[in-house]
Amino acid sequence: MQGRFYDGTDATSHAAEVRFDGTTLVIETAGQTHAWPATELAVDIDRDQARVSRRRSDARLVLATSEWRQLTAGQRQVRRHSAAGGGALVIGLVVAAVATGLLVFVGIPMASGPLARATPIDYEARMGENYNAQLSGIFPACEGEAGQAALQRLADQLADQTQSPFPIQARAVHAPMINAFALPGGHVLVTGDLIEAAETPDEVAGVLAHEIAHVERRHVMQGVWRSLGAGMLLDLVVGGGTGAGQQAVLLAGQASELSFGRAAETEADEHGRAYLHAAGMSSRGMGDFFERMAEEELDAPEQVDEVSEWWMTHPNTDRRIAAARAAEREGAPAMNDTDWQALRRACASDQAESAGQPWEIRIPGRRPPNDPMPGQPDEVGKDR
Amino acid sequence: MSDNNDHANGVPGGAVPVTQAAAGAGPGDILDTPMGDAAQAGGGGGQSIVFSTTLRTRDFFKISLINGLLNIVTLTLYRFWGKTEVRRRVWRSVRVNDEAFEYTGRGKELFFGFLLASVMLGVPFLAFVFAVQFLDEQFSLLLLPLYLFGFWLWGFGMFTAFRYMASRTTWRGIRFVLFGSAPTYGLMWMGMQIANGMTFGWIQPVFARLLAEQVWNHMRFGDRPFRWNQARSESVGLYGPFALGWFGTLGLIVLTIIGFVAVAATSGDVWSSFAHEMAQQAEASDPAKAAPVPMTVWVVLAFYGTLLLLLPFIALVWSPYDAAVLRSVTAGISLDDAQFDMKAGALSLWWLTCTNIVILVLSLGLLMPLIQARSAKYLVTRMRSTGTARLDEAHQAPPGPRTAEGLADAFGFSLI
Repeated sequence: MQGRFYDGTDATSHAAEVRFDGTTLVIETAGQTHAWPATELAVDIDRDQARVSRRRSDARLVLATSEWRQLTAGQRQVRRHSAAGGGALVIGLVVAAVATGLLVFVGIPMASGPLARATPIDYEARMGENYNAQLSGIFPACEGEAGQAALQRLADQLADQTQSPFPIQARAVHAPMINAFALPGGHVLVTGDLIEAAETPDEVAGVLAHEIAHVERRHVMQGVWRSLGAGMLLDLVVGGGTGAGQQAVLLAGQASELSFGRAAETEADEHGRAYLHAAGMSSRGMGDFFERMAEEELDAPEQVDEVSEWWMTHPNTDRRIAAARAAEREGAPAMNDTDWQALRRACASDQAESAGQPWEIRIPGRRPPNDPMPGQPDEVGKDR
Repeated sequence: MSDNNDHANGVPGGAVPVTQAAAGAGPGDILDTPMGDAAQAGGGGGQSIVFSTTLRTRDFFKISLINGLLNIVTLTLYRFWGKTEVRRRVWRSVRVNDEAFEYTGRGKELFFGFLLASVMLGVPFLAFVFAVQFLDEQFSLLLLPLYLFGFWLWGFGMFTAFRYMASRTTWRGIRFVLFGSAPTYGLMWMGMQIANGMTFGWIQPVFARLLAEQVWNHMRFGDRPFRWNQARSESVGLYGPFALGWFGTLGLIVLTIIGFVAVAATSGDVWSSFAHEMAQQAEASDPAKAAPVPMTVWVVLAFYGTLLLLLPFIALVWSPYDAAVLRSVTAGISLDDAQFDMKAGALSLWWLTCTNIVILVLSLGLLMPLIQARSAKYLVTRMRSTGTARLDEAHQAPPGPRTAEGLADAFGFSLI
């Protein structure tokens, strides 16, 4: 058979006579003979051309595909050149992927608790200061000083029942949503809309106790570690890849994060209730508040509730209400009437301002559409 | 800014950059050149250069599906091997004087390069961003130089990727090699980003040639150097088409705004009933979560819908410039006495871009290899050469870098 031979040292084409005896490919050019063992050969076929190479060699032999097929008819030793890798590679990569998945979805969530507890208190406090400074710009504090003082007194009473490593600093803020946040390091923000939506001080106390529990249990720090660890590993694995696989991985990561969030919410409910009881306060406000929030949802289609339950990091409200009702106890009111009225007025002066967000449509006489402000630092501590 | 980046690479809508196309897979015309006899012609013992291709786009369906499937079951870890196989198939389908190119890269080289880059750069970067949260607020000021460093790194990564691909591209068993400095290329890239910001993009055509020169003046086939011919590159004007693209984009933005205002004005009833419906929803359900969903979804849909509608028009106004960059860069390349030309027209490039986007969107990115094959074919079939080059006299180049363009891949930059 005739072919062209390139010896790998320069680009000169050499006419070659080629033979193959099943074990060795013999290439004869003017004055030179090359013997390539069949086990070291790889062939790359494109239409009419077959290019043969030898392992660890730059030399190439090019033949007409038909001639190559004729030459190697019945021989199976010569492997087709491919970069696709074999079954072993794919199995190895699947194992690596499963191991990474376990690490991200099981290992890191499990490690996040101990990691959070091992984080030095002053680190978390400093991080909390940074978050707090950032959030102060977005959610300005309410102006009513008497109301703020009342809220802080309530927080102090509850904090006295905890083993929180941080002093609890509660404040009422302007924000277009019914919500409360626990930040790293003991800052707790309660929105003016939430205070407005609450009918009794016990309801505010229920929410506040829940947030303080997030602080004491260091849930926020856990969330920070979890997102850092998962994010880092997922970035490492998924990196510059494109397409469906990447999206699937990212979505699964989010779902795992949220389900862990629900466990933290339940724990915060339980601990929060315990603080209320220890402070001699009624814990009925917690159930009352959850119940009324749930009633406001009743008109929404059932699926919406299920979907939101899944995505919103919170336990199913029915379950939460049932748990609250089962464990609730009577007690003293969380605030006297003077303090409660002061708190109610704390944010009232500029409720209109909270409707001033440019993306909102404000209908006179109606509550502004609320936005949970995605991307806030406390996914765990979000509350209704 | 990202538009400008694309133009700088000559990458219209994800097409293969001309720098790479000519480095790895020489572009050209389908010609039936006789087997065995390279087109011997011209003076000085050189050969004329004839490009041809056997690329059939439909052959890339199967590999696209296989890669997609394996990417899913391996959490995309397979991508390095999949990408390598696609390159191998594209390279071997491109011929010069009826001799095919060969891609000799390995999947594991990309993989280890990626791991290396991740450990050396990705982890420290993420850790730094994380640490800033623990530290004094002032430390966040360090983020600005860090982002500038990111620009430099991007250029650096691109150049190392070019270098890797050149070293894994052979013709007649002889490697291509890219000398030159990746840090310098990184500086030029960073300079381009800054200058672009200051000139609203108007410096872009200058940098398009500067960056191409940086690559082609340092490229060799074996020991035969390519040369950059600035005058020839400048024979293809870039500022006319650039102005068309720039003002065309401005026009499109103005038209879109006018369109929005007109729609809002003529359909006021629709808006108020929409707002009313929103308010009802807000009233009926927990306002903390139900109300913002429709609004957010609506805004996002409107944004992407408008963008998708605008995309063919944006591609249209920029296609004369994109095509001109392809022609200008190709015209600047020479090897011995051989010069190159790319017969890329604005409309054909526009059509390629639009159809590529449609395929990419409809297949959710799965058919990326097919798009790469289409783009490579587009370039190769439009490539011409005049004059001769002493190809036979090329001697083997030293082996290239051991690990791959991991840095580039780690930052999501992917040529083909």
